[in-house]
Amino acid sequence: MLSNKSRAWVPLMAGLTLSLVSFCAAAQTFDYQLAPQQIAPDTWVLQGKMQDFSRKNGGNIVNTGFVVTEQGVVVFDTGPSHRYGKALRAAIAKITDQPIVHVLNSHHHPDHFLGNQAFADSTIWALPGTGQKIAQQGGAFADNMYRLVGDWMRDTDVQLPHKPLEIDSLALGNHRFRFYPMTGHSGADLLMLDETTGVLFASDMVFYQRALTTPHTPGLDIWQQDMARIDEIPYRQLVPGHGPIVQDRAATAQMRDYLSWLDTTFRNAAEQGLSMTELMATPLPDRFAEVRLSRAEFARSVVHLYPRYEDAAF
Amino acid sequence: MAKRITGSLLSAMVLASSLLCSSVAGAAEQADPLQSPMWDYTRQIFLGQMPWQFDARVKVSAPPFAEDPTQVPITVDASALDGEIDKVIAWADLNPIQHIFTWFPGDKVKPRVSLRIKVQQATPVRAAVLTRDGVWHVGGVQLEAAGGGCTAPSTGNADPYWESHLGEIASRRFGSAQSSRYRFKVVHPMDTGLVNNIPEFFLEQLELRDSAGKAVVKMQLYPPVSENPVFTFDLKGNVGQHQLWLRDNSGNEFEQTL
Repeated sequence: MLSNKSRAWVPLMAGLTLSLVSFCAAAQTFDYQLAPQQIAPDTWVLQGKMQDFSRKNGGNIVNTGFVVTEQGVVVFDTGPSHRYGKALRAAIAKITDQPIVHVLNSHHHPDHFLGNQAFADSTIWALPGTGQKIAQQGGAFADNMYRLVGDWMRDTDVQLPHKPLEIDSLALGNHRFRFYPMTGHSGADLLMLDETTGVLFASDMVFYQRALTTPHTPGLDIWQQDMARIDEIPYRQLVPGHGPIVQDRAATAQMRDYLSWLDTTFRNAAEQGLSMTELMATPLPDRFAEVRLSRAEFARSVVHLYPRYEDAAF
Repeated sequence: MAKRITGSLLSAMVLASSLLCSSVAGAAEQADPLQSPMWDYTRQIFLGQMPWQFDARVKVSAPPFAEDPTQVPITVDASALDGEIDKVIAWADLNPIQHIFTWFPGDKVKPRVSLRIKVQQATPVRAAVLTRDGVWHVGGVQLEAAGGGCTAPSTGNADPYWESHLGEIASRRFGSAQSSRYRFKVVHPMDTGLVNNIPEFFLEQLELRDSAGKAVVKMQLYPPVSENPVFTFDLKGNVGQHQLWLRDNSGNEFEQTL
């Protein structure tokens, strides 16, 4: 129902946009420049940028990792695109000739599984809930990623996980992996502890120095309960889904602090009768304001979660 | 080499856009700060031939991005024009249904309202305030969005909950010495009519009445208001009881003492 006047703009704008886009595409090589960083024996992590999705970063905002054993490689998360998956695979091949045996998708968010196509010849595992959510929402996530990061997504399709992960541990070579299924971040979240090295791949249950995201959390109370369980896991190093690796409890401490503050802030706001736009303007405490993207993610969380607090206050 | 080409392309774009802008500015007294291709059109629809001006005193607040395009929170605040206001119209330039609400605030309520709306794509969201001297004061904000809010079926379409709860009102009054705030939520699908086989079905009139039955808030609503809408109004003073009355486009009336 746009007027004729607005339609007249469309060819002009489309022409300008197209010429710009095609020009930039020619100049860009779509190289993620993945540089695996060894954090423990046999263990490498590829740390993404602490940013939101953009055409500049190609969606590489996520931490992925892999463990090389003498019987093959285990990969934890496959990144945001087919190109990323292929780049990850090439990076692994530079380090080892071992085949990639097991691939795990920590949860159904697009930056964690859209690289699956590059690993279709391995066994891709995910929690049953994750497989269902990818089947239901994966296509829409992929569409949205094409919108956000453009040509980096070329040839990316949803490759479903092959097998529901219903085991609590897995041995490969001299490494023994223990799985912790949780729900706090997305409804189905997989954490993996390599008992051999003490490295915990914490998925998006833990963000560090980059604000956490809440679009599919079943509730901040559930996420907080899960955080208490994570603190009981005997890890020596923690790889968060986003942000730097830690050797201490700093990341989970920041998570618990923020989740608790968010819950209290939303409850108080509902009791005071604040509207969503008023709540979004709430200043963040300094300790959170310096966390990357905290202002933007706070506003998103208001949209995701505040209606529940409003309903409770009515 | 590459840089030079980009540069000349950019300067060509700048030149083209400045030519376009100057022709638009020539047609009106003030150029649209939101540079919307629909501004001339929506201005004629909503303001007609009356005098108007862009006015920073009319504040429209919205998040930078429509995280959920079916539930975008906005606040329209014309407090700086309090006492002179005849009516307030809000619309979204690039929505398939642009009109959001028309509000007659009256003198017992602060000219400030919060609610949630649907947007179909990134769009300016505007409020125009008609003051008693016959001038429209226009404010607005650019809202980014991935889109789809108006052509997505309401959640009520998949869940029959609303059929047995239609028009149920949950509300709360938040009092202080100088004012009292009402927040309320009404169960209603607010269907836009833009989804196949789901006819438009939306609340179109809202009144907040005092104990004598006189309306202190009067608002006309349109389909871009979100499903199960939540409203926030601030009354001046903290006295008396109020009754909320709504009617939808099927003639259903809903009433509750708040």
